[in-house]
Amino acid sequence: MAVASEPPRRRQRRRRELWPYVYVLPAFGAMAFAFGFPLVQVVRESFYAGSFAAPVWVGLDNYKGVLDDAEFRTSLLNNVKLLLAVPVMLGLGLAIALVLNDRIRGMRQYQAIVFLPYVLPATAIGIAFSFLLQQNGVLNTFLRKLHLSFFAQDWLGNSHLAIVSVGGLVVWQQLGFGVVVFTAALLSLPPETAEAARIDGAGWWSLQFRVLVPQIRPIVELLTVIQVITVLSWVFNYVYVLTSGGPGYSSSVMELYIWRSFSSGANGTAASVAVMLLGMAAVLIGLSLWVRRRAEASA
Amino acid sequence: MARKHVLAVLGATLAVGAAMFATTAASQSTQRAADDPNNASLTYWYWGEDDAPGANAWIKKEVAAYEKAHPKVKINVVTQSTDTLISAFTTVAQTNSGPDIATQWATLPTLTPAWNGWSVPISDYVPASETKNWIGTAENMSGGKLWAMPQYLLGIPFVWNKAMFKKAGLDPSKGPKTWAEFLADAKKLKAAGLTPFGMGNKDGYGGAWFFSLIGKQNLDSVAQLKAAMIGKAKFSDPKYTGFFQALADLKKKGYLNSDVASISFPQGLQLFQQKKVAMSWVTDGDAAAAAKVLGGAKGMGVGPIPVWGKGKLATSYDTTQSSDAFITKWSKHPKAAAQFLVFLHSPQVLKDFYAATGVFPADKRFPASLVTDPLAKEQLTLDHSAVSVWPENYVPPQVDGNADLAAGELITSGSGSPADAVKLWESELSKWKSQHPDEFKNYSKWVTSG
Repeated sequence: MAVASEPPRRRQRRRRELWPYVYVLPAFGAMAFAFGFPLVQVVRESFYAGSFAAPVWVGLDNYKGVLDDAEFRTSLLNNVKLLLAVPVMLGLGLAIALVLNDRIRGMRQYQAIVFLPYVLPATAIGIAFSFLLQQNGVLNTFLRKLHLSFFAQDWLGNSHLAIVSVGGLVVWQQLGFGVVVFTAALLSLPPETAEAARIDGAGWWSLQFRVLVPQIRPIVELLTVIQVITVLSWVFNYVYVLTSGGPGYSSSVMELYIWRSFSSGANGTAASVAVMLLGMAAVLIGLSLWVRRRAEASA
Repeated sequence: MARKHVLAVLGATLAVGAAMFATTAASQSTQRAADDPNNASLTYWYWGEDDAPGANAWIKKEVAAYEKAHPKVKINVVTQSTDTLISAFTTVAQTNSGPDIATQWATLPTLTPAWNGWSVPISDYVPASETKNWIGTAENMSGGKLWAMPQYLLGIPFVWNKAMFKKAGLDPSKGPKTWAEFLADAKKLKAAGLTPFGMGNKDGYGGAWFFSLIGKQNLDSVAQLKAAMIGKAKFSDPKYTGFFQALADLKKKGYLNSDVASISFPQGLQLFQQKKVAMSWVTDGDAAAAAKVLGGAKGMGVGPIPVWGKGKLATSYDTTQSSDAFITKWSKHPKAAAQFLVFLHSPQVLKDFYAATGVFPADKRFPASLVTDPLAKEQLTLDHSAVSVWPENYVPPQVDGNADLAAGELITSGSGSPADAVKLWESELSKWKSQHPDEFKNYSKWVTSG
């Protein structure tokens, strides 16, 4: 009776309001299946030990075991060490972009050369560098020929240098991305500001660091967050191919720790580290969104 | 009208879903029902090239011959990498899917999947009249069943370059028999400006071989090693771990190649035939390859590993059947898989394998008369030594990967002491016990009941 008494127009409106949800439902279902389900499974798995077929409830033991594990602490510390590559990448990228922004001759060619490593597969680069950086590899042979034997180190076989080599490789490959982003940002700036500064007598350095760089600050901040996330959770390829985490575990990172655990069937351990890494990445993604919103607001 | 459309879409989705389910179920039951050995499509994850150069080409040739003789059988060979041999199978097996035939190294890497319910006993599909000819089957027995088919015998002889020995003022016809002789030879070789001993350990396998060849020498039996794996003996006992000091000493004295920590194990195996090092230990296959480069018995010598320890295993040799093939639990064609594996032990195929690789097949029917080269004859004699043990076979795969490989890397890179290496082993043994309670239980049961 109540339905019958409802005015037909209101019913039609309610139906119209519901339709968008029906349209969204398949996509929502797909997302829930592709992301939500694995996420819940990973969190659930982190409380179990043993194989998938015969899981044993261990509560928080996986987390405790991981935190007590020296190998995990080394991996985490290495991720932190690799963060030092971010300012190097950004600083070099910005410097190159500023030079290229001066419309020097062959700018496009330089840009292409700097960007080239970025489009090469990380695996191929890793394999090539694993030969280049050997104790008697191309780099050291070259250094010795130049009578610079002091600099010829065991880049991959020395436990202190292995992670530095990984960091160097990350910088070498990711640099091009920074250059392209910064160059695009600089080219999009209105030329009037720079022109006005020049008329006012600003020198090259003042023009770059007091006029141009402050204008692209939101982009610098955004790229910083992106590169931090990259270094934290996208370095598996480089480490796996270049050093496999060795010598010992001296160049292991969290992703490699997860892979190693999972591939030896220690699913619970792998899941618990994955949950921790997810937490860290979530914080950084939140930061990235905040920075992006600020960048949009100031644009 | 709109409601009708929604209902129609939902109905159609359900109908399509039901049809897909029915089709899948029907095809599965058809496939299960049709385990015809002569009508099947098999996927074979194969590994062997690093042990026996030429093995990949050989398997492809034999598959082609088998498919020609069995037109309704299709075999897809997927060659595997050494680095990921265990991890790739472990990962895929957890989804109860993967190849029909898989390859693993002998004993624990093969028995662990069996204990996890990922493989079927090959003795259920191949008659004893056939398996009695296979060599090294004891390495893959558990619960009274045979779980895998051995393919070849892998011995690791000690090799030396005769020209380099001569240059260093050593007798080229005599390789070192004891560790003291080995160190004395190394000293003279180094003094002559040569690199005494070569190996690669960036990936840890060089250190793992050192454990298997030298580390076992203070033990009296494999049972002692098994006891340490399950905590019934202390692995930190110098009886088990004293070899780390021997490895550290080699590094300290400069007897190893300078790039030992930065080149991979396969690269290290090449050093001997590249004439970059005077001594090494290599697989039978690599020794055969080196002989071609160095001029056979005139250019190189082969012998047993120098005696370092004082246990009963000090004089044992190191032959193992290395890698083996087993049939997976989820294969819909176990009979077809078994029939193909038996084919790989047929007389002509065994001869083809030896011709292609220079490595001896793990089969009593392989005629020794085919081995005519003096160096190869010596290797065959060594491979048939009365006692042969490869300890790595008895280390749980997780511990092998995370401790055995990594601990040696600590030493060769100079980043850790023997004490650090021992600590790592103990930590990984403890991790294995807590992370794999089921595997630990099965291993303990295997130790006590066989």
